[in-house]
Amino acid sequence: MNQPRTAGDRAHTGRYEIRIRGHLDRRWSVWFEGMALTQHSDGTTTLDGQVADQAALHGLIQRVRDTGLPLISVIPIHPTGPDRPDTTTRP
Amino acid sequence: MVALLESKLFVPAPGTGVVPRARLLDELRIGPRTRLVLVSAPAGFGKTTLVSSWVGSSDDARTAWLSLDPADDDPRTFWAYVAAAVSRARPESEPSLADWPEPGRPVSERDLTPLLNLLAGVPAGLALVLDDYHVVHNPEIHQQVGFLLDHLPPTTQVVISTRADPPLPLGRFRARGELVEVRAGDLRFTIDEATQYFAGAVEKPLSPADVDALAERTEGWAAALQLAALSMRGREDPAAFIARFAGDDRYVVDYLAEEVLAGQPSGVRRFLLETSILDRLTASLCDTVTDRNDGKAMLEHLERSNLFLVALDDHREWYRYHHLFADVLRAHLLDETPDVVGELHRGASTWYAGKGDPERAIRHALDGGDVEGAADLVEEQIPEVRRGRRESVLLAWLGQLPDPVVRSRPALAVIQVGALLQTGELAGAEDRLDEIEHELAARGSAGVPDWVPGSVELFRAAVAQARGDSSETMTHARRAVELATADDHLTRAAGASFLGITAWSRGDLEVAHASWAEGAAGLLRAGHVPDVLGVTIALGDIRIAQGRLSAARLGYEQALELAERSGPRAVRGSADMHVGLGEIHLEYGDLESARAHLETATELGEELGLPQYPYRSRVARGRLRQAEGDMGEAQNLLDEAEQLYVPDYFPPWRPVAAVRARLWLAEGKVDDVLAWASRSGLDVTDEPAYLREYEHLTLARALLAARPTGGSAAEAAGLLGRLLTAAEADGRTRALIEVLLLQALAAQAAGDGTTSLARLGRALELAEPEGFIRLFLDEGGPAVSLLQSAAKRGIHTTYVRRLLASGAPVPAGQPLVDPLSDRELEVLRLLGTELDGPEIARRLVVSLNTVRTHTKNIYAKLGVNSRRAAVRRAQELGLLTQSH
Repeated sequence: MNQPRTAGDRAHTGRYEIRIRGHLDRRWSVWFEGMALTQHSDGTTTLDGQVADQAALHGLIQRVRDTGLPLISVIPIHPTGPDRPDTTTRP
Repeated sequence: MVALLESKLFVPAPGTGVVPRARLLDELRIGPRTRLVLVSAPAGFGKTTLVSSWVGSSDDARTAWLSLDPADDDPRTFWAYVAAAVSRARPESEPSLADWPEPGRPVSERDLTPLLNLLAGVPAGLALVLDDYHVVHNPEIHQQVGFLLDHLPPTTQVVISTRADPPLPLGRFRARGELVEVRAGDLRFTIDEATQYFAGAVEKPLSPADVDALAERTEGWAAALQLAALSMRGREDPAAFIARFAGDDRYVVDYLAEEVLAGQPSGVRRFLLETSILDRLTASLCDTVTDRNDGKAMLEHLERSNLFLVALDDHREWYRYHHLFADVLRAHLLDETPDVVGELHRGASTWYAGKGDPERAIRHALDGGDVEGAADLVEEQIPEVRRGRRESVLLAWLGQLPDPVVRSRPALAVIQVGALLQTGELAGAEDRLDEIEHELAARGSAGVPDWVPGSVELFRAAVAQARGDSSETMTHARRAVELATADDHLTRAAGASFLGITAWSRGDLEVAHASWAEGAAGLLRAGHVPDVLGVTIALGDIRIAQGRLSAARLGYEQALELAERSGPRAVRGSADMHVGLGEIHLEYGDLESARAHLETATELGEELGLPQYPYRSRVARGRLRQAEGDMGEAQNLLDEAEQLYVPDYFPPWRPVAAVRARLWLAEGKVDDVLAWASRSGLDVTDEPAYLREYEHLTLARALLAARPTGGSAAEAAGLLGRLLTAAEADGRTRALIEVLLLQALAAQAAGDGTTSLARLGRALELAEPEGFIRLFLDEGGPAVSLLQSAAKRGIHTTYVRRLLASGAPVPAGQPLVDPLSDRELEVLRLLGTELDGPEIARRLVVSLNTVRTHTKNIYAKLGVNSRRAAVRRAQELGLLTQSH
């Protein structure tokens, strides 16, 4: 769909990092819609990736719930440089 | 009816080796105020096991069990399963919940009444278990469950097991002591419980230190403990395994499941992975999906080995994997062989399609990425689902298909047009219809189901109707009827109804009746009894307008018989049939029978009424109260009717405001009626139009009442003449009788007795065969004196006597709530003369003050505040012409 995005969409799409307690094997990546899985030495795992919208994010969190793994945090990852709308006028 | 899976109502048997958890069963003790038992914890914590062993251990309450799955996230499906679960537990209970909730409209809180009544009638109490409630996301279901909880009889409890707290007012229930909760912390195995569990589950006893290590590593998570026990099966050195496990950070379930899987022969392992896409398993389904034939043996093996297989029935037919284990299996499948997943789903889709379960067939086709296959399945289902009036199911399926696929298929696009029309998006619906017709023209009929062209025309008719274009409506409706396939009774009936509506709106009653009757016959063939009853109202209204009371009555009586024959429970629309019969008995002047029918309708209740019932029943009751002389209550009922009016498919031939204007006329509030007429844009010079006929007749009555012999009498006569011609031309006999009667009254007031009796004679001639009575009595006093002079002249003597006798219930002919005393009548007669106050006092030999008191009382009883108004009102009521 080639619809104009609203400001609300822009605020909620983007990359997220979901951290859970326990080491989750990389094979679970497909289960979590292709999120990249990284195991950390503190015994946690982060799921990292692009999320289409809030509904998709909630879907991922629900999948975390269904594994029974304790959820530690959900953090939006801002890209380097401000995510500014294109305000320049065309020549 | 939704196809129900019996196995979802089965209380899962607690597996072998289950640890009795006395401390938790203690917590689950139900108090006298308990409404809700909430077991809330993540997957694999033993929620279902706890609730099923609790249910098994309690003798005094019977259980209605429902295992929910994602397909139940729809109010109709959800409550149909609840009804099935409750009926299974209490098969002998009344009322029966078969075919509940009623199809064809959204489920509302009011629909829960039969369920609540049933629960209230269960003396020993009942626990309704909703297992896996977290699959419910639909806010309407949450709201309705909340309503159920608020109205639950005290002997009944709802038990919810869920992975996430439901959006119910838990805080309120908690504060009132109505909630019993078991949460993850409670469900974790204690060291003692873990010790007890391993003692029964592994061959070699474990040391206390090993049990401690396992309990700590798994945090008392039941599923993990169970996996650990399975992993240790056949191991020489469990302690080494435990040490390795305890020192690892990996996801417990993943680690252990892998251990378990690794210990399986490759055939079993492959079977587990490939069948993990199924939410329910049975041998032949597994065979289709795996393309092997060892399904039965495999399932038996898995069950024997306690490999997380849960039996869903008593006869070892259906199973499911434990949810958590299934998720692990699916994660492995997706990782190891992602390219076969689609094929597995397509196999499952084929199997379910062959078994007549389109819901699951469509879901597996979509999960398998087979969008066109899913679209084919939806298309095949359309006629059947529409016959069952379950359009919402179709829309839910369409919502899962990509938009271009829906648009490229006329059969699917037509269904979307229906949804657009429901939400009033006419322009959107028209655009879509243009696209469909373009598509049909481009590809011809190849691959397009034969019901599509008829439906396209039907929706075109609906759009035209909504735009008020009656000739376009007729054209498309006619084509819809022509194009509808032989068994497409609904399209044919809907097309015929459109033709009926347009003919009726024009006042062409015979054509309207024929069209509606054809529609009713089609609906009857299709078995849609409530719709047949709805059409019966239209047919009744039309017959009454044609002056054919006995035909209208027969129609209602046959419809009631049909409703009684169609099943043990009262059919929606039955109440409306009694309202119709009440109106007919009102016309007969038989107030007692009218009252009986309207009371029966009220007893049946609004739940058994069609959408127009709330206002139609109040109009009928208001007219009855008016006939009984209770003007205040009549006014209240008509005011309510106006508030509750819903525009339906019927033309508004008798607006509520006009019915109320006639009530005012009976009360002598002529000025109010004239003000209403002018507000409504009614004018004495109007040309007749059927939809304003009732209002024009009301205006004519008001004009005659205002100045029977004044200047506007000629204008009123002109209006009546035009109304007469129109009513005569279209065979609207009831209106014709009314016009003739009003003309007779006008002639009588003008002193033209000959014309008056001639008009009355014609009115009586038309009215007598069908027994119209009320029509003559609504006119009050002047009509009574007119009838009396007709009787003297021997015109229709028997019938006229009956008419006069029917007016008798009002004492002494006074249609007043508080009748005038003899003395007051005497004063009233003198008020009609030229005499002034003191002269009247002298005539009656009383003081002037006494005359003033009488006058005040007369004004109050007549509802007027001037001498002139009192005299006019007395004339209308015939109080001055009666001899005592």
